[in-house]
Amino acid sequence: MSAKRGAGIARPWLLMVPAVALLLIFLVIPYINIVLMSFRTPGTGTPYGVGFTIDNYLRFFSDSFYLFQVFNTLWIGALTTALCLIIGFPVAWQLARGDMRFRGLAYGLVLSPLLVGIVIRSYGWTILLGNAGLINRTLQALGIIDSPLPLMYNALGITIALVHVFLPFMILPIMAAIQGVDPSLESAARSLGASRFTAFRRIILPLSMPGIQAGCILVFVLSLSAYVTPSLIGGLRVKTMAVTVVDALIDTFQWPWGSALALMLSVTGAVCVLIFARLTRMKWKVARS
Amino acid sequence: MTEVSIERLTKVFGSSRAVDGISLRIADGEFISLLGPSGCGKTTTLKMIAGFEPVSDGAIRFDGSDVVNVPAEKRDIGMVFQNYALFPHMTVAQNLAFGLEMRKVAKPEMEERIARVLDMVQLGGYAERYPNQLSGGQQQRVALARALVIEPRILLLDEPLANLDAKLREEMRVFIRDLQRRVGITTVYVTHDQAEAMTMSDRVVVMFGGRIAQMGAPADIYEKPETLEVAEFVGQVNLIKGRVTSVDAGEAQISTVFGTVAVPDRGIARPNMTATLALRPEALDLAAAGEPGAAGRITARYYSGSLVDFRVALSSGEELHVQTFPNARYSEGDDVTVRAPLDAFWLIGAAQ
Repeated sequence: MSAKRGAGIARPWLLMVPAVALLLIFLVIPYINIVLMSFRTPGTGTPYGVGFTIDNYLRFFSDSFYLFQVFNTLWIGALTTALCLIIGFPVAWQLARGDMRFRGLAYGLVLSPLLVGIVIRSYGWTILLGNAGLINRTLQALGIIDSPLPLMYNALGITIALVHVFLPFMILPIMAAIQGVDPSLESAARSLGASRFTAFRRIILPLSMPGIQAGCILVFVLSLSAYVTPSLIGGLRVKTMAVTVVDALIDTFQWPWGSALALMLSVTGAVCVLIFARLTRMKWKVARS
Repeated sequence: MTEVSIERLTKVFGSSRAVDGISLRIADGEFISLLGPSGCGKTTTLKMIAGFEPVSDGAIRFDGSDVVNVPAEKRDIGMVFQNYALFPHMTVAQNLAFGLEMRKVAKPEMEERIARVLDMVQLGGYAERYPNQLSGGQQQRVALARALVIEPRILLLDEPLANLDAKLREEMRVFIRDLQRRVGITTVYVTHDQAEAMTMSDRVVVMFGGRIAQMGAPADIYEKPETLEVAEFVGQVNLIKGRVTSVDAGEAQISTVFGTVAVPDRGIARPNMTATLALRPEALDLAAAGEPGAAGRITARYYSGSLVDFRVALSSGEELHVQTFPNARYSEGDDVTVRAPLDAFWLIGAAQ
C-alpha cells in the first residue's frame, strides 16, 4: 500500500498522461496533418494529388483578396474584443463589487447567452438586424430613417452578434480578477491622496490586467475562429477567414488550399496574441522571491 | 501638527447606531487607542476620521476646521491597514512614491524622502522588492513607511498588528510607539488587544456598543476602571462581596473576608448595603495557611513561565483567581491564605 503510494508521488507526470494523449491524438497529429496537407497539390476526385508544392502559399500571398480577408477577420476580432472589453468591464466590476442581492441575478443574465445554442442566437440576430428586421422596421415606422440601415451582411452586423455571443468570456475572467483585488487597496490609494478615478487607473486597472488579458485573448481567438455567426450574418457578401476555409474544404473540396488558408489564419492570429501578451506583460507577476 | 476634535459623532446603519454620539479631543502629537470588542464602533470611528465612511451626525475637526464633507484624499491622513494594503504591482519604493506623486513632490526630494523613511523603518535595502517578496513584519513596516512618507497631519492605524505572530507583535508595539514619539504625529490606533493599547498609548478610549465607556491614561483604565465591563475587558478581575459599614466624604468602609477596606465611592454605597468589590489577580498573593488573610484551598494551578495562575476556593465560598511569580511553590489541594493589599480594591456596585 505504502510502496504503491510512494510510486505515485515519484511519478506525478503519470497523472498528465490522459490529457497529453488526448491532445496528441486529437490536436497535434491532426495539426501536423493540416501542415502537410497545405503543401500538397490539388487532386481531382481525390483529396490531394501527387507530390508537394508551395503553390497554395504563393496563391495566398499573391491574391490581395485573401490578404484583405485575413485583415478583415483580424479587424472584426479586434473590434469585437474591444467592444466586449468596454461593455464587459463595468458589468464585471458590478458582479465583483456590487450589491450582493442582485449579484445572483446578474450572474445568471451574464451566463444566459451561453445557455442558448449559437445557431439559434445567430438566427435571432438575423431577425433583429435584417433589412425587414425588427430594428429597421421600428426605426422606419417611427420615421427616423427612410431606407433600412445596412446592419446585416457587413462587418458591423457580424461584430454586433459576436459581441453578444462572446461577452461572457470577457466578463468572467475580469470579474474573477477584480474579486482578487483587495478593496482596502482602493482605500489605501485614496488615503494617500488619489481621487477615485486615479485609484482606479493606478491600482484597480493594473491589478485586474490578468483578467483583462485572459478575456481579450479568449474573445479574440474565439472571434477569429467563429464560423456559424459570420456565415449566417455575413451571408455571401462578407466572409471571414473561417467561412472561406470551410467553403474551400466542404464546398469546393480543395483540401490543400483550405489547409493553407486555415494555417495562415492560425499564424496571423497567434502572432497578434503574442504581440498583445507582450504589450500587456505584467512585471510584478513575474517577481517572486 | 494637528489637534483632532470629535463632537457627538454618530453613525447609523439601518436601525442600529454603530457609533452613538461620541465626543473626544485628541491633542497634537498624542497617541490615542480606541479599544473595544468587535462591533463596538472603533473601526467605524476610525473610518469616519479617515473619510471612508460618511458621517451620520456630529463633527470631526482637524485644528478647528470641520472635515466631515472633505473627501478622504483631501484630508491629508496616513493610514495603516490590518492587511497592510500594499500595492502588489509596485515595488516598495513605488508604494512609497505613490502618495508623493499625488502631492506632486519633485523627483529628487521624493527620492530623498523615500530613502529617509525606509531607513527609519529599517528597510533601507528593500526599495526594489515587491511586497510578496517581504515577510509579514517587513510588509507592516512598509505600510507604516508609506503612511509616514507623505508627512500627514494624522496617522491612523487599524489593527495593524493583528496578522503578526505573538513575538513580532510585541516587537512592533515598541517599534511603532518609538517611531511615533520621534515623528511626533497625532495618532489614532484601533485595536481589540488591551495589552497593545496599554503599551503604546498616551490615552486609551474604551468603547462598548458605539459609546465611550471610559477614557484615560492606561494606568487609570487598568487600575481604576469605572465599570465591570471595562475592568473585564482590560484584564482579569476577581469579584468579592462586602458589607458597607459606613460612607463618609466619598469614601466607603466595607467589611470583607480580607478585613475592612476603604474604597472611593461614586455615590453608590449606602450603609448596610451588600456591595461588590473588584480586584486584579496580580494584586493578590499567597501565604501559608494560618497567616492573616482569607483562608482557602487551591483548586487549580496553571504555570505559564513568567507567572503562575491559581484558582483558590475561599472558605467563605467565593472563588478567586490569583496570579503570582513562580516562586510560590504551592500546588493543587494545598490549604493557603490569600493576602490582598487593602488599596487594591475598588467598588463596582450593589451586589446582585
